[in-house]
Amino acid sequence: MSPLLDVRDLRVEFATRHGTVTALDGVSLRLEPGETLGVVGESGCGKSITALAIMGLIPMPPGRIAGGSIRLDGEELIGAPERRLRQLRGRDIGMIFQEPMTSLNPVFRVGDQIAEAILLHQDVSRDEARTRALELLRTVGVPDPGQRIDAYPHELSGGLRQRVMIAIAISCQPRLLIADEPTTALDVTVQAQIFDLIRDIQDRLGVAVILITHDMGAIAEMADRVAVMYAGRVVEEGPADAILDSPAHPYTRGLIGCIPAIDPALAALDRLPPLAEIPGVVPPLHLLGQGCAFADRCIEAVDICRKVAPPLTGRGHAVACHLHAAAAASEES
Amino acid sequence: MNTAAYIARRLFYGLVLMFFVVVLNFVLIRLAPGDPAEVIAGEMGGITQEMLADIRATYGLDKPIATQLAIYLGQIARGDLGMSFFFDQPVAKLIGTRIGATILLVLAAQLVSILIGVVMGVFAARKPNGVVSALVAVFSTLGYALPVFWTGIMLIIVFASWLPIFPVEGMRSARFEGGSFAYVLDVLHHLVLPAVTLAIIFLAQYARLARASMIEVLGADYIRTARAKGVPERRVVFHHALRNAVLPILTVAGLQFGNLISGALLVETVFNWPGMGTLAFDSILRRDYPTVMGILIIGAAMVVVANILTDLGYRLADPRIRTEGGRR
Repeated sequence: MSPLLDVRDLRVEFATRHGTVTALDGVSLRLEPGETLGVVGESGCGKSITALAIMGLIPMPPGRIAGGSIRLDGEELIGAPERRLRQLRGRDIGMIFQEPMTSLNPVFRVGDQIAEAILLHQDVSRDEARTRALELLRTVGVPDPGQRIDAYPHELSGGLRQRVMIAIAISCQPRLLIADEPTTALDVTVQAQIFDLIRDIQDRLGVAVILITHDMGAIAEMADRVAVMYAGRVVEEGPADAILDSPAHPYTRGLIGCIPAIDPALAALDRLPPLAEIPGVVPPLHLLGQGCAFADRCIEAVDICRKVAPPLTGRGHAVACHLHAAAAASEES
Repeated sequence: MNTAAYIARRLFYGLVLMFFVVVLNFVLIRLAPGDPAEVIAGEMGGITQEMLADIRATYGLDKPIATQLAIYLGQIARGDLGMSFFFDQPVAKLIGTRIGATILLVLAAQLVSILIGVVMGVFAARKPNGVVSALVAVFSTLGYALPVFWTGIMLIIVFASWLPIFPVEGMRSARFEGGSFAYVLDVLHHLVLPAVTLAIIFLAQYARLARASMIEVLGADYIRTARAKGVPERRVVFHHALRNAVLPILTVAGLQFGNLISGALLVETVFNWPGMGTLAFDSILRRDYPTVMGILIIGAAMVVVANILTDLGYRLADPRIRTEGGRR
């Protein structure tokens, strides 16, 4: 089966006051139809930039796609004309954002905001679009959709607004749904509902999902595959089970260590003491040196880690870490 | 709160405000130097003490100020603005013949300055560091800094004298013949220069405000959402962004009405526009108390009404205010 989305060696640069910084440094991701890829990492690791790059929404300037390729069903998106990208956005790729409170336009009724997406991509009348919007509101579990369709965003709660956002994102039955931290701004109880909804929609529409999050618990529940990102690179990538059960990169181990152990599914892992933390913060991108970007925070780092950036190696479960490569090599010999 | 109750409440506050406007202005004008009886007597030629006393008695100027105020307030409550000392006509009639011209000028200037200001601001916001943005900044600061009468005279020199495109002064051609449509065109033709002159001062503020507001809105999350839906850029700017960016402009537009009306006074004088400004100018020089008072009252009423209309417009434009019951 050919991949639905094939991102290869994507490089994105931003012009800043500190000169050009590389926000994405050779990111590669693959997504099969109907699959869920979890993208995890701390704030600033390039998760959202990756999503925006796939949507063709990197602000340029200051941004620039310096290299690589993004293929959707074999069609190259980098350098594709804006007209074509506009067709794909909202029709083939739907996106849900982090902030439901501010992601809907405050001066338009939510029904109209859903209908707009339908009218842009489908040859239907206004009435038909409205009927579709009403169905979508029902699909995403908005109670009393007949009333809510004429509500303004400020009249809805955060959870309902996020449901409206999801309705917009799936309005044209996309093949790919990108959810960029869809629950970060919501109450915990609502978070679970939104994840359930996304999974339900995925089952129903067979849409592939990229779930961007720093919530390893959500990854454990939702993702088929996981890509762990750090400072603009993918440092570990593979099946979700493999990564959660036997994380190979010290950063991934750190992330999993940060999950509160009360979650029984993960308490069973019991590899690190509950609520560990990763010392330090993601380095500012303009200060990145030659070596592994994580070296300064890594308790296991050795000399080579500070000198040479490790490549992502391994089939199926790939890791970018010198230590892991050395361990794997010694196992084989 | 529903709109009818809201309007009723605003009208009530407006009336209270008008009461204070009347009292304050009445007292201020009486405190100002100059005696209308002497001016009137001067116009009549010869003068004796008896004649002066007679004039004062005729116009009630011999009574104490408090009594005069009480009489005046009673008149106003009945909708009577009194008789002009100088023109010897009811003030209401004097103002009535001129108020239309002033409203026309003020609304035209407001419309021109908002439209052009918003367009300038939007284009500047598209590329905040671009050449257009810099030009808009220079032009709008210049427009704001230039005195109205100077701008007016320069426009007359260039567009009425050197290039005789527009008439020098007045509101209609002296010997006008033609149908009502041609009449409208004739008035509009006369309106261009005064309206532009008045608009230029306010243009600057609208352009800057529109630029800042537009830059902010274009960075909003919901704009990203619109783009992610596949909305064409033109529609993103003029539908999704502009609807939000005009809200602060509406607020300022409402607050500017008072300034516009006082600006109109100067412009009317430069262009000899037959509005309330020229009337105010004449009646102040002649100490024509009732006319000055009438103009002040009607001017204040225009500002109050304009503010209520602006707030109603704001309620229409921003759904968040409608449901919060008029609060911001």
